[in-house]
Amino acid sequence: MNPVGEPHRFQGASQYVLDDELAKIVNVSIALEMPLLLKGEPGTGKTMLAHAIAESLAMPLIVLNVKSSMKLLDALYQYDTLTRLNDSRFGDSKREVSNISEYIRMGKIGQAFASDCRTVLLIDEIDKADTDFQDDMLDVLDQMQFDIMEIDKTVTARNRPVIIITSNAKKDLSDPFLGRCNFHHIAFPDPEMMRMILNVHFPDLSEELAKACLHAFYRLREFRGIEKKPATRELINWVRALRADPDFDLKAVENGEIPYLGVLFKKSVDMNLAIQQSGRPRR
Amino acid sequence: MFIRFFYMLREKGVPVTPTSFLRLQKALALGLIGSVDDFYTAARSILVKSERYFDTYDQVFAHHFKGATFEEITDVELTDVAKALLEEWLKRPKELAEALGLDENKLAQYTPEELLRYFLDRLKEQKEAHHGGNRWIGTGGTSPVGHSGNHPGGMRVGGASRNKSAVKVAMERRYRDYSQEGPLTELQMGEALKRLRRMIPHGPRDVVNVDKTITETMRNGGEISIVFDRRLSDRLKVILMIDNGGWSMDPYIEIVQTLFNYARSQFKDLKIYYFHNTVYSRVWLDPQRHLRPEAVEEFTRRDPDTRLIIVGDAAMAPSELRWANGSIYVGETERRSSEDRLKFLTQTFRHAVWLNPQAEASWNYTWTIEVIGKIFPMFELTLDGLDKAVQHLMKRH
Repeated sequence: MNPVGEPHRFQGASQYVLDDELAKIVNVSIALEMPLLLKGEPGTGKTMLAHAIAESLAMPLIVLNVKSSMKLLDALYQYDTLTRLNDSRFGDSKREVSNISEYIRMGKIGQAFASDCRTVLLIDEIDKADTDFQDDMLDVLDQMQFDIMEIDKTVTARNRPVIIITSNAKKDLSDPFLGRCNFHHIAFPDPEMMRMILNVHFPDLSEELAKACLHAFYRLREFRGIEKKPATRELINWVRALRADPDFDLKAVENGEIPYLGVLFKKSVDMNLAIQQSGRPRR
Repeated sequence: MFIRFFYMLREKGVPVTPTSFLRLQKALALGLIGSVDDFYTAARSILVKSERYFDTYDQVFAHHFKGATFEEITDVELTDVAKALLEEWLKRPKELAEALGLDENKLAQYTPEELLRYFLDRLKEQKEAHHGGNRWIGTGGTSPVGHSGNHPGGMRVGGASRNKSAVKVAMERRYRDYSQEGPLTELQMGEALKRLRRMIPHGPRDVVNVDKTITETMRNGGEISIVFDRRLSDRLKVILMIDNGGWSMDPYIEIVQTLFNYARSQFKDLKIYYFHNTVYSRVWLDPQRHLRPEAVEEFTRRDPDTRLIIVGDAAMAPSELRWANGSIYVGETERRSSEDRLKFLTQTFRHAVWLNPQAEASWNYTWTIEVIGKIFPMFELTLDGLDKAVQHLMKRH
C-alpha cells in the first residue's frame, strides 16, 4: 500500500475508517505545509484523525487541549519562577539559578517545535479560546518560531509539524484565521460508513446485529429536542454493551426496544425524551 | 489556470481570497493534483473555509466542469407542492405506494416526515428526467434507506465519495442543508450566554498569588512564605422566567429551555419559573403552572445580585397589566397590579432583562410592550439581542 520513497503520505490507520476525500485533503495539507482545520459535530472523529495520522506516519503526537482561559504563552513556554525562587532560597537543586533557561519549560507548541523529529500537533477545540489567542497562534505557526522573552532567545521549529486543528463549530472563527488554514467539514457518517466503522471495531460483528443497531441508532438520533445526540463513540459502547449481555435478545432491538439506553444518552432529560419518543415503553 | 472558476465562485458569493487561489496554484505546481477528483477536494479545502459555502461550491464546480445549470426550482416550492400532493395521496395509501414504488406495508412504517423526504427525492429525480437530462445520479433506486441519506432536522449527510467521480459528487449537492443562512441554533445561543459570567474565587486554595507571596516573603524577612488563593470560577445565579401561556410563545419555549439547560453547568444556580402573559403574585416551578407556585414576595430573600431574565412576548390586554383584578384567571383576586409586580421585580434584582421573541420593529404597535419596555430593559430574542442583553446584565450598577 504505502509506496516506498513517499513516507509522508497518509493512508489511514488500524482503528480509523478514512474516506478518500479526507485522505486527499490531509495529504494536500501536509504537502502545502498548511494547518488543516476540521469542523463537524461531536463524534465525527475529528480528534481521532490526528491520532490516526500520527500512527500511520509514525510520528509522535502532541496534543494541545485548548481551554477558554488559555493564553498563547501557556502553549509556547512557561517560565517557572516559583521553582527558581525556591532554588535560589534553598540552593539544594542541581540547577544553575542564574541560568534562567533552566527554568523555561516548553508548552505543547514549543515541544512540537523543539522536537528532533517531525511531529503531529493536534490543537483540539480551538473554538473554545478567544479570537486573540487564535490569531496570535496562527502567527506563530505561520512563522514557525517564537521568542522567549526572559532569555532573549528565538525558538525555531526544526521540523515543521503536521498541524491538525479541530473546532466544534461553537462560534465562527475569524477570517484571518480561516485564511491560513485548509478547511474540511466532516459530516456525520452515513449508515454505510458507520457500518465500516463498526467493522473496524468489531471484526466479528454479525450482520443482523449491526443492521438492527444501526437502524435503532439512526432512529434515536432523529428524536426531537435531544440536547446531546448519541454519536459514534456512544454507538460503539452500546454495541459493546449489547454483546457483553448474555441475555441479550436481538429480536427486541429489531422490535424497537432499546436496552442500555443510558449508554447512548448521557443526560437525564434526553433519556426521558428518548423513552417517551421511542413509543414502546418497556414493561 | 482556473481563473474563470475562481471568479465564478466569487460571483456566486463564496468569499475566496487571492491568497488562497495562489495557494491552489502552488498545489497544482507541486503536482499534488492529478485528476479532476483531486482538484475537487483540494480546491475546496484550500479555497472554501466554511461548510456553509460547500453547496455553492458544488454547484459552481458542476457548472464549470460539466455545464450543469443552476437549480431554479427552490426547495420551498417543492416542499409545498409535495405536501399538498402527499396529503391527497395519503387518503389512498395503495396509490401512493404504487407511485413511489413501495410496498404498502413498508409505507406504513414511515413517519410523515420520512415519507415527505422520500417523496421529494423521487420528485426531484422526475423533474430532472423531464428536463431531458440524466445527469442526476441514483434514479433507479427504490431502497428507502440507501438513497435518501438524510437525518433529522433535514440535515443531508455527506458520506464517503467511494467510486464516484468528482463532478457526480458535486452534483449530488450533499451540503445543501448547510447552506441555509445560519438560523439561531442552540449552540450559537449557548455561546452568547457564556459571556454571562462573573468570576469569583471558589474551591480549594491551590493557586499561588505571586504578588502577595513576594510581599509576605519580604515581611517575613526573606523567609519564603507562599500565599495561595482560590481559583476564580464562575458562580453566577440566574433566575429565568418563561411565559409559556399563550400559543404565541409556543415556538420559543423549547429552544429557550434547552438553551438555558445547556448553559446550566456554568451557573451556580439556575431556576426556571413559568408564568402566563405577565407576572402576578405567583410564578410556578412546573410548566403546567399548577403544582409548585412560588410567591413573588419571596424573591426578596434571594441574592440581589441574581440575574433575572424574563422571556415573553409582553403582548396582552392592557387590563391584565394595569388592574389589580385584571388577571385572566377568573376567580383570582390580586391586591396589586401586574405592573406593580414587575416593578417590584426590577427593584429586587438590579440586573434584569426582558427578552422578547417578537421583532423589535413591531414593538411599537403593542401598548403593553411599551409599558413593560419602560420597566424592564427589553431585547430581541436573537443572537444579537441576546448579546446585548448579556452585556447589560454584566454591567456594574
